[in-house]
Order: sequence, then structure tokens, then C-alpha cells
Amino acid sequence: MAKLKIRRNPTRQYEAVYIIDSAIEDAAILEKLEKLQSLLNLATPAEIEHWGRRQLAYKIGRHDTGYYAIARFETAPAVLPEFERALKLDEGIIRYLISLAEHELGAPKLSDDELASRRRAGDDDDDDED
Amino acid sequence: MRRQKKPCPITEAGIRYVDYKDDRLLARFITDYGKILPSRLSGVDARHQRQLSKAVKKARFLALLPYVKGQTG
Repeated sequence: MAKLKIRRNPTRQYEAVYIIDSAIEDAAILEKLEKLQSLLNLATPAEIEHWGRRQLAYKIGRHDTGYYAIARFETAPAVLPEFERALKLDEGIIRYLISLAEHELGAPKLSDDELASRRRAGDDDDDDED
Repeated sequence: MRRQKKPCPITEAGIRYVDYKDDRLLARFITDYGKILPSRLSGVDARHQRQLSKAVKKARFLALLPYVKGQTG
């Protein structure tokens, strides 16, 4: 029988998107995010990206807008169920999504040279349509 | 006569893995009603189409994209 592969590093990279009630004030939102991350007991603090208030594509309950924040962190999978429970209980969080972030998303950052050549070829580039 | 294959727009943009948070990119690959555009119309290659369909579904859950477009209420 094949032996179960044991990961040497038991932690994984995650990315969480929170949609927070936009009626909450900015200071309180920051505090809430801080408190959430502290539940995870992270070795290195989560990297948080703020999108701020944004129109939702459809209504969620009574909400039309939400405050979007994205946290990237590395943790052991075992702590997530407890963390998700806390997220579900929090009334200020309209919705959240935690997903593995082990691929580099989007296009890699271009070097200056590549950017320059991209710009030169810009005429037949149909990416910037609107 | 066979039509020439379209180049994959996602590969051309230099994207390795489709980001579910990039709603502007994803919006190019959904129909007017919000359905995922088939790759035979968009020319997206199979690998990216798989990533795209997952990404669109995540983006819908996060209210970045609508489940059904052009609907009131």
C-alpha cells in the first residue's frame, strides 16, 4: 500500500476576501480586520489589501454596497474551521471567501524592457478596449 | 476549408493563472446575460477556460459579477 505523503511544511497559503457592511465606519472596519487576523495566530502578519466600498453586482440581503478587504496569510488548515465559525457569527461580515492561493494569479509583473516593447507594439494591442 | 484557430486572449495577455478578483478581465468572457462565454466563441485555450469558469463562479459569489445580468431587483 502506498504510504501517505506527509507534507514537511504543514501550512498553506490562503487568500481571504471579506465583504464587510459598508455602514460600519472605517476605523471600526480596520479594528475588525485586526481582530480577525489575531484569531488565526499567524507567524507573520497577514498582508491586507483594501479595496474599500464597492457596489455589489447584486443585492445581498439588504446590502447594495460592501467594503472589500483581501487578506493573504499562511496557516495550518486545521485552524480554518474555527476561524470560519467566527466569520459566520460576525454580523458585520456580509460574505467571505477563503481560498488557497498557491498559484500566482494574473499576469506576472513585467520588467521595464518588456513594458517598453509592449508599448511599442501598442497599436495592435486590443487589451485596452472599454 | 478550416477556419484558422483564434489565439487565446488570456495567454496573449500573459496571464498564467486567471484571477477571480479581476472582474474587468472576467467581464470580457461572459455573455450579455452573465453566462460564461464558450471557448469556441472566445478562443480561450482549454487550460485557461477551466481556470476562467472557476474564477467566474468565485467572482459571482463575491458579488463582483452578477449571476444574471439585466434583471431588475
